[in-house]
Amino acid sequence: MLPASGSDPVIRLVDVTKTYDSGDTAVHALRGVNLEIGAGESIAIIGPSGSGKSTLMHILGCLDVPTSGDYDLAGTPVASLSSRALAKVRNEKIGFVFQAYNLLPKASLLRNVELPMLYGGVGRVERKERAREALRKVGLLERAAHLPSQLSGGQRQRVAIARALVNNPAIVLADEPTGNLDTQTGKDILALFDELGKQGHTIILVTHDPVVAERASRIVRIVDGQIASDGASVRAAAEAVVPAGVVAVDAGPVAFAH
Amino acid sequence: MTLRESIVDALVEVRVNRARTVLQTLGVILGVASLVAVQGMSDAGRRQGLKFFSEFGGLKKILVHNKPLKERVQTAAMLDSHGLDWGDVEALRREIPMATQVDPIAEDEQTIRTPTYQKLREITGATPDYQTVYKFFPARDRFLIDDDLAQMSRVVVLGDSAARLYFGNEDPLGKTLYIGDAGFRVVGVLRRKEFYFNEGDRNALEWMNRLTIIPITALYSRFTGDPDKKVSFINVMVDKVENNKKAVAAINKVLARRHKGVPDFEVIDRKERMKQQQQEGQIFDLIFLATGILSLLVGGIVIMNIMMASLRERIREVGVRKAIGARGLDVALQFLVESVLVTAIGGLVGLPIGILFANGITALIGQPAVITPQMAMVSVIASVVVGLFFGLYPAIKAARLNPVEALRYE
Repeated sequence: MLPASGSDPVIRLVDVTKTYDSGDTAVHALRGVNLEIGAGESIAIIGPSGSGKSTLMHILGCLDVPTSGDYDLAGTPVASLSSRALAKVRNEKIGFVFQAYNLLPKASLLRNVELPMLYGGVGRVERKERAREALRKVGLLERAAHLPSQLSGGQRQRVAIARALVNNPAIVLADEPTGNLDTQTGKDILALFDELGKQGHTIILVTHDPVVAERASRIVRIVDGQIASDGASVRAAAEAVVPAGVVAVDAGPVAFAH
Repeated sequence: MTLRESIVDALVEVRVNRARTVLQTLGVILGVASLVAVQGMSDAGRRQGLKFFSEFGGLKKILVHNKPLKERVQTAAMLDSHGLDWGDVEALRREIPMATQVDPIAEDEQTIRTPTYQKLREITGATPDYQTVYKFFPARDRFLIDDDLAQMSRVVVLGDSAARLYFGNEDPLGKTLYIGDAGFRVVGVLRRKEFYFNEGDRNALEWMNRLTIIPITALYSRFTGDPDKKVSFINVMVDKVENNKKAVAAINKVLARRHKGVPDFEVIDRKERMKQQQQEGQIFDLIFLATGILSLLVGGIVIMNIMMASLRERIREVGVRKAIGARGLDVALQFLVESVLVTAIGGLVGLPIGILFANGITALIGQPAVITPQMAMVSVIASVVVGLFFGLYPAIKAARLNPVEALRYE
């Protein structure tokens, strides 16, 4: 495992399992996942559908709690929090970016970006100010009063990213953020994530697209509810001072050959 | 999220879905309108009744009148009964402490003659108290005075219509009116009394304008020649309305003793009578009330239905809000605020419709228009309660959505 590229890990999963009861049979979506993610890391979680990738994302995003195991998020043990407490954690420590953007269709871009602060109890003046600043960062300030339906897909995703960042979360969790975008727009969005990474945001990309995953510095591959591999991406490896030998066996594009 | 911001969101929701909002509010509009109408109409009726009663004594009046005995086989005491008399009046004056006035009235029929008129008519023997009890004041000159009573004076005061009847266009003051064989000097003409329950109705107080009033003592000495000085009825004015019941009991006790237990009289509490009349009126109110409540129920169910449908459309939105940090309470508040907003709009629209409704009906039956603060209160309370009650289930449903499943929902 790569050492966390910073101080303490922002995420630490220890023996996390998740079991769903579906009628008579129990579905083991996660079977003992151990994972540490350092502050400022840019990490991709990949895996085929049904691998437990989504379940892992839900647990990382505090939308769901593990059946067993521990999860520390930015120093807070969250594995056994109440749904009310989880809502607070999501609000303060996590920024979500979804494949389908998931903006509120009837609200202006500004209000969409304000939303996390509305639930966080940020005062009106500061809220508006920060929402404008976040929109400015993604280059959409002049369209603050528009509705999401008046924007292109790429623009909508930029608004979603502004919304995810506005509460200055410990991690940004992006679920197939380019899945609904054409190649060029997807690249622009990924470039924005690169930018955010350089600014020190911790970014977790969940994707099945190896090209997208390659933008991250570290790739975690999930198969059958377990981490099958965890290592630097080819790009990161190439950029690393140490030789490529450190790279885990099937990380990077090579992994998809078989 | 604060209430204020929830209202902002709800306003957007209501504005974007105008057609849906209209459908949602219809039932509440109808319900609130009919509740407001009931309120207005019953209020109009109550005021009208009070006003009418106040024209001849108000609620503080207790009426004692003769009641014919119905028993076919009568005891000696019953056979001896001759109804209310002057002795009763004096006993009541002595023994009813809360009585401010005890005003006896005796009636008789006599032929009335002037140079231009001759007819058998009812004449009223009264005391000076009569004018304050009935608020029946002279338009010209005076009413009966104590001296008239003491002297058994042959003086008469006339209601407005009676004066016209007897003397035509001539000035009746100072003229002589023959009652039976005795000449009575006209000393006063009374102010016209008018009361119309409904526009176009006959004057409910016209009987007063037709009165021919002489001192009760003169009636006894000139016409009835009655040693017992029988009275037709007695008005007992009570110091305050709260004492009515006590006064009724006391009067009954005094009279039962004096009449040796023979129930040849009846004591009627004006306040009780008014209450009874209102209760009869309340049957109508109840029908309107039931209509209103039914409309509100149906309206509420419609709102709940549409909220549930709207929730199905917005499951993803709820998921997103929860992912972003909305607690269940925030989501519930959002939906509740939305349903209360919708019903409040219904209440706001229903209020003027209800007022129109009430005034339309009161106008139709000729009563004066009414707008009371209670109407606004009824509309606010009814609409908010419906919004809260029927919004609760969708709100709880929304609050309990699992964020993972809600986000996945297509």
